[in-house]
Amino acid sequence: MEDKNQGSESKPTKAITRRSFIRGAGLSTAGSVLLTTNALAFAHKEQLVTGEEYGPEAMTIKMKVNGMMKSLSVEPRTTLASALRDHLELTGTKVVCDRGSCSACTVYLDGKPVNACMMSAFDVGDKEITTIEGIAQNGELHPVQQAFIEHDASQCGYCTPGMIMSCVHLVENNTDPNLEDVKNATRGNLCRCGTYPNVFKATLAAAKKTI
Amino acid sequence: MNKFSWYEAKSVEDALQQVNSTVSEQLYKHTDKASIFKSGGVDVFDWVKEGLLKPQKIINIRNIPGLDKIDYDRKKGMSIGSNVTLAEIASNPEIKTNYLALHQAVNHAATPQLRNMSTLGGNIAQRNRCWYFRSGDHDCFRKEGDRCFARHSETGENENHAIIDNGSCVSVHASSISTALMAFNASVVILNSEGEKKKVAMDDFFVTAAKDIAMENILQAKEIITEIILPAPSKNTKSAYIKQVARESYDWSLGDVAVVLEVSGNATCRSASIVLGAAAPVPYRSMEAQQALENKTINSENALAAAEAAMTIARPLAKNGYKVPLFVATIKQAILEIS
Amino acid sequence: MDTRKEKFPYGIPGHNLSEIEREIPIEEPPVWPINDKLKIIGKRVTRIDALDKVIGKAKYTSDIKLPGMLYAKFLRSNVPHAVITSIDISKAKSLTGVHAIHLIENTQKEGEENKNGKYPIVKYVGQPLGGIAAESLEIAKDAIALIKVNYEKKSFVIDIDTAMEIGAPIVFDEPITQQQDGGDVGETHDGSKGKGNVRGPSTSSFFGGPRGDLVKGFEEADVVVERTYRTQVHTHMPLETHGVVVDWNSDVMMVYASTQNTNAVRNEMASIFNLPKSKVRVFCDFMGGGFGAKHSSGSFGPMAANLAKKTGRPIWLMLDRQEEHLSEGNRPNSIQYLKIGAKKNGTLTGIQQRSHGTAGVALGAGVGRIAQILYTCPNFATEQYDVLTNAGPGAAWRAPGNVQGAFGLEQAIDELAEKLNMDPLTYRDKIDKSEVRKVERRRGAKLFDWSRRQPAGSGKGVVKKGLGVGQSTWPRFVTLDSSVEVKIHNDGGVEIRSSVQDIGTGTKTILAQVVAEELGLEVKDITVNIGDTFFPVGPGSGGSVVTGSITPPARNATYEAKKALLKLVAKKWETDSSELFIENGQIGSKKDASLKMPFKGATKLMRTSQISKIASRSDDYGGFQQPWGLAYGDLGSVQFAEVSVNTDTGFVKVDKIVAVHSCGRPLNIGQLESQINGGVIQGVSYALYENRVMDNGTGHMMNANVDQYKVPFSMEIPEIETLVVEEYSALSSTDAYGIGEPANIATAAAIANAVYNAIGVRLYEIPITPASILKALGKVS
Repeated sequence: MEDKNQGSESKPTKAITRRSFIRGAGLSTAGSVLLTTNALAFAHKEQLVTGEEYGPEAMTIKMKVNGMMKSLSVEPRTTLASALRDHLELTGTKVVCDRGSCSACTVYLDGKPVNACMMSAFDVGDKEITTIEGIAQNGELHPVQQAFIEHDASQCGYCTPGMIMSCVHLVENNTDPNLEDVKNATRGNLCRCGTYPNVFKATLAAAKKTI
Repeated sequence: MNKFSWYEAKSVEDALQQVNSTVSEQLYKHTDKASIFKSGGVDVFDWVKEGLLKPQKIINIRNIPGLDKIDYDRKKGMSIGSNVTLAEIASNPEIKTNYLALHQAVNHAATPQLRNMSTLGGNIAQRNRCWYFRSGDHDCFRKEGDRCFARHSETGENENHAIIDNGSCVSVHASSISTALMAFNASVVILNSEGEKKKVAMDDFFVTAAKDIAMENILQAKEIITEIILPAPSKNTKSAYIKQVARESYDWSLGDVAVVLEVSGNATCRSASIVLGAAAPVPYRSMEAQQALENKTINSENALAAAEAAMTIARPLAKNGYKVPLFVATIKQAILEIS
Repeated sequence: MDTRKEKFPYGIPGHNLSEIEREIPIEEPPVWPINDKLKIIGKRVTRIDALDKVIGKAKYTSDIKLPGMLYAKFLRSNVPHAVITSIDISKAKSLTGVHAIHLIENTQKEGEENKNGKYPIVKYVGQPLGGIAAESLEIAKDAIALIKVNYEKKSFVIDIDTAMEIGAPIVFDEPITQQQDGGDVGETHDGSKGKGNVRGPSTSSFFGGPRGDLVKGFEEADVVVERTYRTQVHTHMPLETHGVVVDWNSDVMMVYASTQNTNAVRNEMASIFNLPKSKVRVFCDFMGGGFGAKHSSGSFGPMAANLAKKTGRPIWLMLDRQEEHLSEGNRPNSIQYLKIGAKKNGTLTGIQQRSHGTAGVALGAGVGRIAQILYTCPNFATEQYDVLTNAGPGAAWRAPGNVQGAFGLEQAIDELAEKLNMDPLTYRDKIDKSEVRKVERRRGAKLFDWSRRQPAGSGKGVVKKGLGVGQSTWPRFVTLDSSVEVKIHNDGGVEIRSSVQDIGTGTKTILAQVVAEELGLEVKDITVNIGDTFFPVGPGSGGSVVTGSITPPARNATYEAKKALLKLVAKKWETDSSELFIENGQIGSKKDASLKMPFKGATKLMRTSQISKIASRSDDYGGFQQPWGLAYGDLGSVQFAEVSVNTDTGFVKVDKIVAVHSCGRPLNIGQLESQINGGVIQGVSYALYENRVMDNGTGHMMNANVDQYKVPFSMEIPEIETLVVEEYSALSSTDAYGIGEPANIATAAAIANAVYNAIGVRLYEIPITPASILKALGKVS
């Protein structure tokens, strides 16, 4: 197809000269200050503690999930979501967008909601993972789960685990949430069936019960 | 994702010894055996998942001790470590009190989950969201290609793109937090593998497409961001931030504005710092708006005049003309929120 | 056929409830009274499968993991139109962990030269070309990247306007026909007529063809509205993508499918692989969302089966998000010309409709029947054209065609009302003969407080409020090929079986309700085993047919089983079984109050381990409009929208929707509300947010992800109030119908009318965005 790019500028190039521009003039441009020199900064270079390299092939790692220490063989490119679903058979965690845009894969990393699809299994380290399967305790549902049932807050149910992870975290950290708080907590959770109104109702009802 | 090895860095020195490339260099031109940094990892994994970035080694800098601190000193200002998460910034009371616009910007960024994962260093260093740039099927200028698909007058899908400085690549920078940081005259502290540490003003941190098509900031392979510094605000400093998005829940900016003003008792603007996000390929400081507002009373008329001054240099593309009235309304509103 | 006569409740409680006598088949159960007098039907019963969903235990197709299972991935085209000259799989084949590669090739008749080439012609970006099975999904992806496809590129066309031009690149140079995929309950689309990319027109539906005389009609008109409306392409984006797991190691091909139609998938797979239907078993327990596009085995079903055959291992093949957007269906766009004439008193004298829409490489881009049937008008004609383009195929999407059609029609009616100086609701009272919508308008107007509505554009300030209304109709479709088996086990258990699937609408729960109500038991006493084609055939979940098709057989089979059980009890009690009843889990006698027996005890009287009864859907009491299953009456709705428009920034926010609906006898109010919420939210999304963005220069979809394909999340959700109007029509043993499509039809039109009311400028195109509002207000140069 004929190129009808606007403007008359020609193709920009990667400016080899840019670095010299920055170096030459750049460090003296407004706001740029040289803070330290190498002599000061890396004085103890010979004592440098180095990290460890893993992979790229699969290797056995340990991961604490829902209070239990698990061993699994994964590659660094294995996402936490895949580790949970494909290696530990915890399929409650769902992968929908696979890019951190829908929160269906929400799990807790040391108690904080994160997207398991955008992390490596190697990101977990000694932190603790909680999945939807770990929310009910000894067979007793969390009030949010109970409220989701009572208020019909799931339709097809595919977003439900992620929604519940968001809402449980809210209720556990805010004793008196209002509607805006619930909307804020679920603002990253995609539902296509239209459960939002009942998710809001259920979470507010559950919050009252947990006080 | 391609197979890569994982290096768990113990210190910045350790990390800088391992690294040999940047995400930007690799996106522009892939090389074998690239070792790159990842902090929160959201943007890096996004690129790797698309198959546009194929690192041989990912160096995890997320767990390096010392990069996760927030320090505030009434005289020196605020220091935010590069590994501080957006969630930690959002909940920091001193940031809310002293740098309201930053607090607001962070609160409007991404989702709760992503804010728990994303770090400030990663946020300001992330690449733009132009859908052509992010597509493996479109070799655009920023991927060593021969065209800007978005700029095409007939077929370019450029509704989200730049209205200012859009002569080459017409993408807009993805970090709306940077809009607020720049308005506060923040600086980025960068350490290199030689041990040199430099403090670069946000105004100089970003690189326009006209200067270097491969990069959006000055970071080079053997460099790492250690902290972001915000100068102490005077007691007359007031700020506001507004982001316009197609979808309020979470979305990339269609136009965001950070305004930091020094206001004297009679509502006169003594100095103005006005920065626009999603207007240009990098966060854009509007000298036009600043000049128009300085030494003027903050009222509706002068706010509108400043807003209109900012847009005098706008040159919209075929599908983003709406951004001009959008910015006018948003700049005006942000200024008036301060009064 | 033996029949008997019974008196049924008829009409709308609180409005015109009366009785009607019907002649019904003798074996069918006695009439149910209105819901007020029933225990379980019409109540807010919680979903029987909700627990599994909230604890993460529910297994969806994508969660299936079988021993030895391999993961498959599609190879897809990345050009919009091309002839494939060669495909080099050598590198992919030798990658460790790759087990099989299957390329899609043209089938060739023996002895004939294949003039179409070895591989099918590429017609759109994302077209499946082949597939790979490997030990992990990552390896399969790596292998796909190693395949080199060589194309001979052809010119292509993406944009509908360009495709209609003379001299545009031709997408298909032959007549095409499209098989109904079970999800499309619209018209048959005729691709054999027409020129170039423009095929058709369709001029008739099962409600007939053109009527009256349009020329005369417009001559009689005092007022005419003549407009062109445009709607966008949007994709379904169900959370669980299309896909299957196929296990073909035994004699039976086992297909776990994320589908709205287990039966159709079974039939397709049996046909493709030349197997008897009894040797294909399709299973779907939990299904992660379907809005019309999941009725077929697609290309993923055959691909997984082919790879299973080649490897001898079970194959997991679920699409990724991008593939879902590109190739698994969308609601076609539309350009609708509409001319409507009316007399001064409002009487409609003519409706003329001409539409063009593109379903990409498929047919089916009409705008439905809504302009034909919603209002009384003696003179009507429609011409609906399909425009072929090099884009992914369209598919049925919640009320196919009619959502587009309603967006045009309901705005035109509003404009007409304004020209006639009549309130939009008052005007609809005049031209809409539906009794149920009249009630809906009244009750809805009260709930919504329609009296607040101000003249268009009269609001002060930057943010302007607007109120609007939209209406819809949807046929009562019945799939006659709908059966269930009800079993009463001798341990007191009750089980219902059917191949019908629950796609999240709550089918499992309403089946349990129907059985429980009939047996005098509780919902928890009923086990529902559905979504399995080894059970009696059920309908596909499309066209809002499920409730109306499957609940009457469920009740009838239960009634038969109950009769058989009561006969045993009657024998023991030495009485007549017609005197016996079951209530609260106890069998009792109308004649002798001292006779009592628990249900479970009664099942001990059985000499066999179970009583099993199968029933199928019979014709409606009083027959059908069309013998294939078009019932009398319709499913009407009226939706009200309240919006705020920021006239400085152009942002529209939907503040509130009041949705008033009818679906015959409501079975489960909670689930109906949920489904209406879903229809409304998708309508909000259609009106304001989602839009498939295609690059016309390269043929690629630019927002094939969740990030840039904008659908509403929590902050965009308006306050939604629903009202379900009971309407008894005495048509079946449950007299109940679905709500899926009706919930989605009127919303965008109501919002567009509300936006007009807010700013005094009408938007003829969706999605309505800041850009379009600012342009309409003259703020963009």
